[in-house]
Amino acid sequence: MTTSSPLQTAADPTTGNQEEGSIELRRVRRTYGDVTAVDDIDLTVHPGEFVTLLGPSGSGKTTTMMMVAGFEELTSGMVLINGRPVDKLPPKDRNLGVVFQSYALFPHLSARENVEFALRMRRVRPAERRQRAEEALERVGLAKLGDRRPRELSGGQQQRVALARALVFNPSALLLDEPMAALDKRLREQMQEEIKTIQRSLGISVLFVTHDQDEAMSMSDRIVVMRDGRIVQQGAPDDVYAHPVNDWVANFLGDANLLPCTVLERSGETAVVDLGELGVGRVRDRGASGDRYAVSIRPEHLAFIPADRTENSASGRVVTSTNLGATIRHRLRVGGQDLLLRELSAGRRTARELDGEVFVGWEQDEAQLLVLES
Amino acid sequence: MKSASSRFSPALLAAVPVFVFLVVPTLIVVPMAFNQSRYITFPPAHFSLDAVSGFLSDPAWTSAVAASLQAAGIAVGLAVLLGGSAAVALHGRRFPGRNLLTGVILAPMIVPAIVLALAFYQFFTSLGLVGTILPIGLAHAVVATPYAFLTVRASLSGLNPALVRSARSLGAGWLSVARFVYLPVIRPGLVAGALFAFSVSIDETVIALFLQSPSATTLPVKMFTDIQYNLTPKIAVSSAMLVTAATLGLLVQVSFMLRRRSNARMLPLTSAAADQTG
Repeated sequence: MTTSSPLQTAADPTTGNQEEGSIELRRVRRTYGDVTAVDDIDLTVHPGEFVTLLGPSGSGKTTTMMMVAGFEELTSGMVLINGRPVDKLPPKDRNLGVVFQSYALFPHLSARENVEFALRMRRVRPAERRQRAEEALERVGLAKLGDRRPRELSGGQQQRVALARALVFNPSALLLDEPMAALDKRLREQMQEEIKTIQRSLGISVLFVTHDQDEAMSMSDRIVVMRDGRIVQQGAPDDVYAHPVNDWVANFLGDANLLPCTVLERSGETAVVDLGELGVGRVRDRGASGDRYAVSIRPEHLAFIPADRTENSASGRVVTSTNLGATIRHRLRVGGQDLLLRELSAGRRTARELDGEVFVGWEQDEAQLLVLES
Repeated sequence: MKSASSRFSPALLAAVPVFVFLVVPTLIVVPMAFNQSRYITFPPAHFSLDAVSGFLSDPAWTSAVAASLQAAGIAVGLAVLLGGSAAVALHGRRFPGRNLLTGVILAPMIVPAIVLALAFYQFFTSLGLVGTILPIGLAHAVVATPYAFLTVRASLSGLNPALVRSARSLGAGWLSVARFVYLPVIRPGLVAGALFAFSVSIDETVIALFLQSPSATTLPVKMFTDIQYNLTPKIAVSSAMLVTAATLGLLVQVSFMLRRRSNARMLPLTSAAADQTG
């Protein structure tokens, strides 16, 4: 049974290798002529961790992944898989499961033959590889469709085949390059959950590339935000979301209220800032320094409060209220600035009165001092 | 598409005289091959297979057919091998001199046949190779290679580059990549290239004339030399054979194209249907 289980975890605790399934990049750099695509990146994916490279197109995230897979050469630096340098290893010997944006299924092979491919390359006997391929297809819910050609499968089904194909040979880690970009929203959400479930049950490390912040938020253990070939910020999804280091990250990861401020006092993780007409604020501080500062507050972290407070609050009026179904979005005019406030629509019976005076406040932990870059 | 082609179009009317002008002279030789006469005459008077059996029992003519087929065999094999691998090698790669290299590969299509013939004559004479069918086959391979290159290159345009990468990430070496990724994609291009190469070689006269010898006379050369003093219906028979071979080649190619197109048309339909249900 141990030999025939196709999707057993790569990070096998019995081997005693603590680094089994890890990916490490040391000062990895890639230039094309004058263009620096990836600029001295240091990054570690720990065994069993789900790490997402998140950034707009041209941020170097796909190039970074392709260097890990061995399809792009490094200009300088080093990639280690399972703690061993792989710079001399061709892609076929890196033992990584790669799922491409286009799925890249072999069109002339059936779904099962596609899944069998890696085993065939590893000279696994036909009977065994057929069995392992069947089991892998079963795991992704395609047990009955093994005989179909890729063109006879829907986009979501092709994607599952690609996933089964990348997992069937017990790879050290899984690399996913925008695998859900071609799926519609509902299917995408379903696949996100399935991939996450499979990843957890196998305990396999995943390096995931996407430009979709919702996808990154919902799937990752750690998000690595990339811009212009550099890592701008990394951390747990809710941490990066609530505490962006600069206005670019704040805006890239969803809506943000950015309140320009001057810093009055910084002590450890807290800063006291002057928000002008919005009064004095006591906010979270990451210690980043720059020329100009702002406080970032997510719209859902702003709340209506009954009365003004001395800190972390302001008064203003409601300009528009839009019901979005699950949430209501209020546009407020506060101290000469436009703010967005989002609240759950559950329990609310009446829309907030327009133009009436309201008080809004926020929690110290959910307001982040950041550097204004633009 | 079906409704558009079934509708009458004035352009069709204009096409008829063009078609007649292009095709009828070629077809006239076919009935002449089955005429009962010692000379080529038109219109044919009496149907007879005399000329055909005479052609088949004349070793001078059958050996010319054999020589042509041998030369074509060499040309097809080399052209498909060289043109195909050149197309695969140049696919998706960018490097300085790429366009120049493509130009060199395609040059035999543009260089006048008489110039090539002279060059080949001098080249193979200095090597002492003239007198066998080999130099004719090699020279035809040079002329046919661009066709195989172009047809394989065209079939590669449909290749998803991620396929190569995914094969490599799954453990495939270059041989497996060639077998599982490139070969299925370029197969129609190889077949079309082989047919082109065959028809180029079988019909090529100028170079074959320069490189001919009594033991290496291809069919067109034999026809050309015979027609000057001996206007037998056997020439019409060989013409009819060439027309038949060319037509068969064309039909094979058309059927290939139609099959590919029907595959391509099926694709969006079935995947859309599967999306609905799945």
